Amino acid sequence: MKTPILTVNKIGKSFKDKRIIKNISFQVFEGEIMALLGPNGAGKSTTIRSIMGILYPDEGTIHFNRHGEGEIPRQKIGYLPEERGLYKKVSIMDILLYFAELKDYPLKKARERALFYLKKFGLEGKEKSTIEEFSKGMAQKVQFIAAIIHEPELLILDEPFSGLDPVSQDVIKNEIRNLASNGTAILLSAHQMNVVEELCDRLLMIHRGEKVIAGTMEEVKTEYANYKCVLRGVADIEMLKGLPQVQSMTHQGSVTTLMLDAEVKPTQWIKHLPEDVNFHELSLSRVSLHEIFIDIATDHLPERSEQNA
Amino acid sequence: MRNIKKVAKWEYKKNIKNKSFIISLLLTPAIFLLFSFLPGLIDSFGKEEAATTVYVKDELNALKNMEDTLKAQGIEWDMKSSQEDMTAHVRENENTAYIELGESTLSEGVVHVYTNEVMSSEFSQQVNNITAIVQMLQLESLSLTPEQTHLITKGMTLETIAVSEETVETAGADPLKRLVPGVFAGIILLSVVTTGMMIFQSASNEKKEKVSEIVLSSITPAELMQGKIIGYFALGITQVFVWIICLLPFFMWKLDFPIMEYLLVPETVLLVVIAILGYLLFAALFAGMGASFEDVDSTSNFQGIVFVLPWLPLFLFMPVLNDPTGWIAQAGSYFPLTSPGVLLMRLSVLEQWPWMEIIISLSILLVSIWFLMKLAGKIFSIGILKYGKNATPQEMLKWLKY
Repeated sequence: MKTPILTVNKIGKSFKDKRIIKNISFQVFEGEIMALLGPNGAGKSTTIRSIMGILYPDEGTIHFNRHGEGEIPRQKIGYLPEERGLYKKVSIMDILLYFAELKDYPLKKARERALFYLKKFGLEGKEKSTIEEFSKGMAQKVQFIAAIIHEPELLILDEPFSGLDPVSQDVIKNEIRNLASNGTAILLSAHQMNVVEELCDRLLMIHRGEKVIAGTMEEVKTEYANYKCVLRGVADIEMLKGLPQVQSMTHQGSVTTLMLDAEVKPTQWIKHLPEDVNFHELSLSRVSLHEIFIDIATDHLPERSEQNA
Repeated sequence: MRNIKKVAKWEYKKNIKNKSFIISLLLTPAIFLLFSFLPGLIDSFGKEEAATTVYVKDELNALKNMEDTLKAQGIEWDMKSSQEDMTAHVRENENTAYIELGESTLSEGVVHVYTNEVMSSEFSQQVNNITAIVQMLQLESLSLTPEQTHLITKGMTLETIAVSEETVETAGADPLKRLVPGVFAGIILLSVVTTGMMIFQSASNEKKEKVSEIVLSSITPAELMQGKIIGYFALGITQVFVWIICLLPFFMWKLDFPIMEYLLVPETVLLVVIAILGYLLFAALFAGMGASFEDVDSTSNFQGIVFVLPWLPLFLFMPVLNDPTGWIAQAGSYFPLTSPGVLLMRLSVLEQWPWMEIIISLSILLVSIWFLMKLAGKIFSIGILKYGKNATPQEMLKWLKY
């Protein structure tokens, strides 16, 4: 059984009269990729900064399970903040070695790892360049290397894919998977729900500082993602009206989407489709994480999610 | 402490490799040397071009003695003995002079010197040196012994001694004994404060480059701030060291007093401590203000005021030197922002140090440094993470309450 690396227990934080986060609890396990999701201003960065000890929560506790009570093992945490930046006029190698030194990581080993990752990320021979000479994507790769150079046991990634092209996204995704498979616990905050769906084992979604959804990807899908039926090229949509267990129906161009009730059994529901309805394509699937996210951000979360949150 | 050392090392290395820092490091002593010795050098070229020709009608047989005396004074005339009256020749030739030394010179005590209209500006001063020679000849003609002659020609020195309980023993002491360590400490203060200004730039850049959050994931804001302060202090001291290496040989060669003897005295230690305290005070200000400030190019920000503060003692320069024990000097010693500079000025010129005032002003300075470090630490820890904006005074006050 995997052991927890980080346990966040009922933390809360206010700035003056404004409540930023409230009663947030979760654990991140060894070798697991955990997603921390939420719309802008939901409190993700405050939660992360509290874990990092950059901010101190007003209530609750944060415990790093392999370390003493109240201790923040900064040397064992890797952090890629949302706000990107590196020293502009210093060579890449010097920057990476400085960050490794701050983490008490042996410099010889850090140099080897820096060269290894620069090569892996297509930046071979660039160790003497400065960040000014790099594109945004290249700089982001360097920042990612800076976050993992010291072999952290917990890696916190705040929006690691923003601004990356699909190729670079894949490079980073693969490396995140590699790290997790080698035992690194990863807490990831991202807005690309398709990537989260593809990459993460579990997720915690917060909205207005409070937990709204939590669980494994499967649990969340089962619990919160109703089925939807998408039909393309329906000639007469009037024929679909009156179908049972349909919450809503939308029609855009040639695509008709039927949002179904939570209790729907898809194999039985499909039998209710009129025999003579004409279409080119039919798909029946659970709504995506992206749609759940939109629902939350626009306050359309299904009632039952409150029970589980 | 280890983290502070790491940051200090980083800041030091980052700047010591910086080309513009290296250039300014070497250029400063070069410019200093240029402006110190160039005017003299140019002057000496001028002298060579316009060597004064002096004709001497020497009826007293004093020419050899004159030449030796003037040479010892560093005066190099082209001296020529003449039996004729050379006034007509002098009238027609630039930079020439004619001196008559006859029996009437001794009896009347008047030396006739005829010069051309165009003479070097120094000649009128140089020619005064021959009066002592003539005076010697006068005394010799009175058959005085060499000792009597020496006693008379030695002249009279007036020595004023201010008598008080404390000053009796030290009256008449060498002013350089205080001045040299004071100037040395002043140079240290100047160097560390100017490199200390780079803390402002460094903190501001860290904000601008959005790198502080990564750094603060490894160390605390206090460690980051203290590391910067120590790093830039080391940079300032390196700067002084380089300046000393470049300038000291020239000073030892050109100046006619033993600098090292004046420097290696216990007073230097206190003066250097004052300079270091001054640095710590301003470093705290620079760190706090730099962390609240991102757009260095903007001119409409109040943070710029902080650059003026280290130079406040210069406004008190004349009043303090004119009256180093006066009320302006005392007030300046007690006000923390002017205290290091004013103390150095006062202690460089005062023969007897006012120990009680020194203790009070150093105590005020230490408390102020502690207080400012606390305030700067609070502003730094919040400001450094506030990317994308310059803080207003109201915001900074709010941060202090957190």
